[in-house]
Amino acid sequence: MKIRTLATAMGSMAALGVVLAAPPAHASAEALIRAKCLPCHTETEDGISRISHQRKTPEGWLMSVARMQIVHGLKITDEERRTVVKHLADRQGLAPSETTGVRYAMERRLNTVEAFESEKFTKMCARCHSGARVMLQRRPAAEWEHLVHFHLGQFPTTEYQALGRDRDWFGIALKEMVPELASKLPLQSEAWKQWQARAPQTVKGEWSLSGHLTGRGGFSGVMKVTAGEGRDRYTLAFDGRWDDGRPMQGRGRALIYTGYEWRGDLVVDGTPMRQVFAVEDGMMRGRMFLRDQDEVGADVVASLQQAGNSRVLAVHPAYLKAGEGAELRIVGSGLAGEVTLPQGVKLVGTVKRSATEVVVRVQSDAAARGVHAVAVGKASGGSLALYDSIAAVKVSPAFAVARIGGNGTPTAKVEARFDAEAWAAGADGKAGTEDDFRIGVVPAKWSVEPFDEAAVRDQDVEFAGLMDAASGVFVPGDAGPNPVRRMSASNVGNLKVVAEVAQGGERLRGEGQVIVAPPRWNNPPLP
Amino acid sequence: MKKTMIGGALRRSAAALACLAAGVLPAAAANEARPLEPGSEYLMVANYPNNLNVVDLASESVYKTCPLPDAFGPGTTQIAPDRRTAYILNNRFGTIYGIDLDTCRLTFRAEMSQGDNERAKSIASFTVSADGKEVYAVQNPTTIHRDHYRVGAPRFAVYDTRAGLEAKPVRVFPAPRQANIMQAGEDGSVYLAGPNLYKVDVNTGAMTVALPIRDWQRSTHAPLDVLYIWPVQTPTRDFTILYTTAKYQDDKQDMATAEYQYGYLNVNLKSGETEAREFGPLTEIYFTGLRSPKDRNIVYGLLHRLTKYDIAQQKLVQAAELDHTYYTVLSNQAGSRLYLTGTFNDISIHDADTLAKVGQVKLPGGDMSLGTGQVFVR
Repeated sequence: MKIRTLATAMGSMAALGVVLAAPPAHASAEALIRAKCLPCHTETEDGISRISHQRKTPEGWLMSVARMQIVHGLKITDEERRTVVKHLADRQGLAPSETTGVRYAMERRLNTVEAFESEKFTKMCARCHSGARVMLQRRPAAEWEHLVHFHLGQFPTTEYQALGRDRDWFGIALKEMVPELASKLPLQSEAWKQWQARAPQTVKGEWSLSGHLTGRGGFSGVMKVTAGEGRDRYTLAFDGRWDDGRPMQGRGRALIYTGYEWRGDLVVDGTPMRQVFAVEDGMMRGRMFLRDQDEVGADVVASLQQAGNSRVLAVHPAYLKAGEGAELRIVGSGLAGEVTLPQGVKLVGTVKRSATEVVVRVQSDAAARGVHAVAVGKASGGSLALYDSIAAVKVSPAFAVARIGGNGTPTAKVEARFDAEAWAAGADGKAGTEDDFRIGVVPAKWSVEPFDEAAVRDQDVEFAGLMDAASGVFVPGDAGPNPVRRMSASNVGNLKVVAEVAQGGERLRGEGQVIVAPPRWNNPPLP
Repeated sequence: MKKTMIGGALRRSAAALACLAAGVLPAAAANEARPLEPGSEYLMVANYPNNLNVVDLASESVYKTCPLPDAFGPGTTQIAPDRRTAYILNNRFGTIYGIDLDTCRLTFRAEMSQGDNERAKSIASFTVSADGKEVYAVQNPTTIHRDHYRVGAPRFAVYDTRAGLEAKPVRVFPAPRQANIMQAGEDGSVYLAGPNLYKVDVNTGAMTVALPIRDWQRSTHAPLDVLYIWPVQTPTRDFTILYTTAKYQDDKQDMATAEYQYGYLNVNLKSGETEAREFGPLTEIYFTGLRSPKDRNIVYGLLHRLTKYDIAQQKLVQAAELDHTYYTVLSNQAGSRLYLTGTFNDISIHDADTLAKVGQVKLPGGDMSLGTGQVFVR
C-alpha cells in the first residue's frame, strides 16, 4: 500500500503549516541543506546539483523535499523541513508576476478547469497533473531534461496511457517539450531579478478584509498583523462579521515566503483554517479555506491601513433593488471623506464609520439601474448593482467535482458548493445579451436532477449524495462498491445542480453540474 | 531502490481496487500439494494478496491456491506448453516467476532489473516459447543515479526456462519503446505488440512489422488506439488485440462526422496468418475481446457488458448485463463457456451462445485486478 502511504504523507503536508516552527537562521539553513542533501547531491562552484538550478513556490519545494523523504529515504524532522523549504523558497522562488494566472493550484482551487494555448503542453504535461504545477517552476533545459527522465523512470506507464501510447512520448518529451519549457519557464528571468531587488513588502498593521464563502455568504472585518517570533513570522487577529450579522473571529500565525507569499494558519470560531495570499503593494489577494476540508473556502481581498493606500475593497451587500432601501457596509482602507453613491441612490444616514468600514443607510430611486461605482473620499474600487428584477439565475461554479469518500477508506468526502448568481437583463430588457449585468449572490432553493440518461438509469440522484436545499452544499455518498447499485457501482454520479430563485410568484431557474467522482487517492499540495 | 513506487494509472487503479476488496476472504487454503489431473480443464488466475488460483472447470470450484512470493501486480500469467508450469509477471511489474502448478513450488525467477542501481519494469510484456524452453520479456530500465534518473533503452531479454531461481538473460536485443504484450508463434518467432505488431526473430533480435499499428496510415480511417495488456492464450491459438478507430465520411477526414469503430488485430500463432479489420461500431468500451472457438465469425467484447459481434455484418448481435465490471474474457477449449475474470474476486461463468450467466466461482483472497488468467487442459 505504498500509494496510500504517499497520499497520507502528502496529505499531512498539504499546506505549509507554521505552527511551532522555529525561527530560521540562514547559516543554519545552509548547513542543514548541506548535511541533509549532500549525501546524494554534489556541491560545485555552480552550487548544489539539481537543487541550485530550480526555482519554485513554497509548495513546490515542500513537494520536492517530501518526495526525497517518501521515495529516497531522506530523514528530516518536520521542523528541519520547514527551515529548508523557507530558505529555498526565499532564495529560489518565483516573482509575483511569474505566478499570475496559476495561483489557483497553491490556493487549492481543485475545481479549476485549465486551458493552455499549447496543445502539446496540455497533452504531454497537463493530462496527469495540473499544468499549474509545471507553470510554477523555472528550470534550465538540463533540469527540464532531468524531469522528463524522472517522470518516465518513476511512472513507467506514462508512455502507455492515452495520449502517450499513440506517439513517441519520450522522444517528444526530450526533443520538443524540454526546449519549449526551457524557453517559456527559464531559470533566469528579469521579473525575478527585479523582485529580488525590491524593497520588502509592508506586512505589519491593520488589514481591512473582505471575502465570500460559497455556501455561507460574505464577510468582512479587520485582520491585525503583528510581529511574530522570528523573521517573516507574524501573529494575526481577525475580528469581523458575516453579512448576516453573526460575529466572526480568528486568531493565528502566518509566515511570509519569497517576500510576498503569505501562508496563514488560524482558528476561525473553533475551526482551523489556512490562508494562501499574495501580498503586493498594500494588498492581499487569495483564498482562505478549511484546513481539513480545503474545498470549503473563501475568495479574499485585503488592504493595509497605511498612508496613500485608500481603496474600497467591496460593498456588502453589493446590490440593491430599485426603489428599496438598505444598509450598506463599505469595506476598505483609508476610508475618509464623503461617500459617493451611484446616481439614483440617496444617502439616508451614516450608521457608523471608521477608516476601514463605513456603514450607511441608503434609498434608491425606482428608475436606478446598472452597476455603478461607490467611493469614499479618495478611496475607490467599490460598486453597487441596481436592478428592478432578476432576469436570469446562474449557478456558480457552473461545474464542480465532488468526491465520494469515508466509509472506512483513507480519503474523506469532498463536497461541492454552489452559489446562485442573479443577473439583470440590462438596458435592452433581454436576458442573455451583452449588456446583462451581475446583480450578486441571492438565496435559492437547491436540488439535483439526473444530468443525462445514464444518470437516470443508474439512479444517481438517489445514490450520489445529498444537496442541502437551503445552502447549495452538496455532500457526496460513501466510497466503495455499493452492492445495492446497478453493477455494484460506487456512489459516483453525474447531476444537474438546480437553483430556484423566487421573485414574486415567479420561480427563476439556474442550472449547473456536479460530477461525483471517485476519491483523489494522491493529493499533493499542488494538484 | 527496488521498493520505489511505480505509479501511473494502472498501478493506481490496482491499488484502489485492492483497498476495497482486501480482507473479504482469507487467502490460500491448504491444498498446495494437490497435483492437477491430466486431461482436466483448468482456469488459473492470480489475485490479492498474492495467490495463484487454479479453478477446476468441470466442477466450477477452486481446485487449489498457490501462494506467490513478493508483492502482487499485475498478475499476468502464461501457461507453458507442458500445461504444468505457470509463468507470472508480478512484484510490481518487476519479476517473472515460474510455478509448478502440481506442487505450487517456485521453479523459475527472473528479475527484470539487471544491476543494483537499475529499476526495470515489464509492462505485461512477456511470454513462453512454443517449445517451453525459453521465456521472453521486454524490460524498460531506468538507472537510478545518486541525484537523477536516466531512462534507458528497452531490451528484449531471452531466458532459459531451466535457469532456476536466479535466471539471467541468455540473449538481449534492442526493443522498441512502448512494447507491451507478446505471444509465441509455433514457428519459434514471437509476436510483440507496441507501436506496431512486430514479428521477432528470437535468435537475432530482428523485428519485422507483422501488422502496422502506428504505421497503418489509411486515408479512410483515423489512426488506431490500442490499450491491450491481456495476453490471453486462446484455444484457437489466435493472438487477438482490440483497437478503436474512426471511419471518415469522406476525403475531408472530419472527426466530427466520423463513425467510431472497434476492430481487432489478429495473428494466428499456428499458421502465422495475420488479419486486421473493424468488426462493429464503437458504442461502449471493452478491455478484452475473444474470437469464438466455435465460430470464426463471432468476436466477444467485455468490460461493463459481455457482448457478441457478427464480424461479417459488423454488427452487435447480443449483449448481457453483468453484476459488475470484468476485465478479461476467457473461453474453455470447446468454446461453450465464457469465463469473466479480473476486477473483484469472483469469476462469472456464461453460456457462449446465449451469454446468460450460468455459474460463479468465488476466489479466496481479494481482487484479480488487471491480471490475465488462462484456461488450459493439464
